[in-house]
Amino acid sequence: MSWRVLRLEGVGKDFDRADGGVAQVLRDVTLTVERGSFFTLLGPSGCGKSTLLNIVAGFEGATTGGVSLDDTPVTGPGTDRTVIFQDVSNALFPWMNARENVEFGPKMARLGARARQELSEKYLRLVGLDADGGKFPFELSGGMKQRIQIARALANDPDILLMDEPFAALDAITKKHLQVEFRKIWNETGKTIFYITHDIFEALLLSTHLAVMTAGPEAGIKEIFQIDLKEPRSPSNPDFAALYSRVESLIDEEVQRMRAR
Amino acid sequence: MYAGKLARLSVSILVFTGVWWTSSGTFFEAAIVPSPVSVAGKLTEMIGNAELFAHLGASLRRIVLGYALGCLIGITVGVATGAIRLARDLIEPPLEFCRNIPPVALIPLVVSIFGIGEIGKYFIISYAAGIAVLFNTAAGVLSTPQIRVRAALCLGARKRDVFARVVLPSAWPHILTGLRIALGFSFMGVVAAEMLAADQGIGFLIMQSTNIIAPAEMFVGFLMLGTFGLITDQLFRVTIHRLMRRYMIPMA
Ligand SMILES: Nc1ncnc2c1ncn2[C@@H]1O[C@H](COP(=O)(O)OP(=O)(O)OP(=O)(O)O)[C@@H](O)[C@H]1O
Ligand SMILES: [Mg+2]
Repeated sequence: MSWRVLRLEGVGKDFDRADGGVAQVLRDVTLTVERGSFFTLLGPSGCGKSTLLNIVAGFEGATTGGVSLDDTPVTGPGTDRTVIFQDVSNALFPWMNARENVEFGPKMARLGARARQELSEKYLRLVGLDADGGKFPFELSGGMKQRIQIARALANDPDILLMDEPFAALDAITKKHLQVEFRKIWNETGKTIFYITHDIFEALLLSTHLAVMTAGPEAGIKEIFQIDLKEPRSPSNPDFAALYSRVESLIDEEVQRMRAR
Repeated sequence: MYAGKLARLSVSILVFTGVWWTSSGTFFEAAIVPSPVSVAGKLTEMIGNAELFAHLGASLRRIVLGYALGCLIGITVGVATGAIRLARDLIEPPLEFCRNIPPVALIPLVVSIFGIGEIGKYFIISYAAGIAVLFNTAAGVLSTPQIRVRAALCLGARKRDVFARVVLPSAWPHILTGLRIALGFSFMGVVAAEMLAADQGIGFLIMQSTNIIAPAEMFVGFLMLGTFGLITDQLFRVTIHRLMRRYMIPMA
């Protein structure tokens, strides 16, 4: 599908709470994500980032407003958008080996065995796991599992990857490796990325655009940055450091506001 | 390692038999607890005149048919209860009620309705097996992680695919546990049904032995239950290991 922008317009979300009340989570979120960009959402815990991502994925409907690709509204999950989940153990199919996991999308697309195999080989190689196709998820480390999940998504050739804190559960070293590698993959594949993280450093390392959210309830967008840092990006770069503390103070402000309530 | 295990198994069997043997005629009267030797003699005799096979055949046929029927119904209804909210709300309350009624308690009613024919026995066994399978299947279907279903949807799975390729495989460990428990229940069910209303079968053999004062026959009945229960359970385990291993691997 050829589209130019992913648009969120006036997105609001209420949840019916178990106690009978209503949780007013999101209010009037309006964003434009251009095709090919790496768009990151940053915000205090519990503000509604995952909720927003689930709405973009089509898992949940917005209470008000809506999501569209150009002028086509998003009405449910679709192969043009694939989610990479943080909880990779549950996201992968544990009864399938790595190769079978990667070939799941192509299989759903009714591709033949030969074509599927070519795809799984290609994408397992891309994430550096070409030798591990026969292994089952329980035989793989957390980082390897996350690579498999990325390969599985890419093999389905979606336009947009929706990533909900994909590397948050990994140790610092594995995380760093995967960040660098994933940025390369993004460069090579030209996918549009909608990314959630808690990690300001990660956000500045990876993104082309960064949206900071306000604290919930009724969370919205506080500020949006376009990031044009000198490559290769490094925290020793003064611009990087300045932007870091600017974003950090914005988030601190929101956390303070949340505490005060 | 393997030799050590075998040694311990032999010791365990020997001690068990030894305790039985020495208590027969001392702690218990031999007319109540016969010795292993007289049971073995009885067993040979019953194999010789084919009496044993008639009883065994009757019981096994009931188990196989009743179990198969119970599992079929249990899986079908269990999947529906697990997957469909409306079905769950409608079916679960009466089932939660029924699971407290053991199959044995139903025998008098079943006999009144179906008489002492085969249908009543299939009913008892299917009930015993079906309940176990049903609850485990429903639990398995419900245990499917939401994000696994969502992942499949992103990858282009249709509703039908999600069920067959994600929900069912996620539920297999639970379903198989249910099937295995149900197998044990089937043995209990058949014996109960045969003790009260039958003229053939292992349960009948055990019940009848007290009437005709033939304690060795009763113990032949025990022997058959223990042996065949063990064999089918092991067969079940081996089959699962062969066919379903990829579904039983650790999920983490
Ligand atoms: N299904 C639901 N029913 C009721 N409330 C919900 C539901 N899902 C989310 N919420 C509430 O919505 C708010 C936002 O949740 P969400 O998971 O989107 O936050 P988040 O920003 O992703 O948090 P975190 O950074 O900790 O992952 C929370 O207050 C949460 O309790
Ligand atoms: Mg979240």
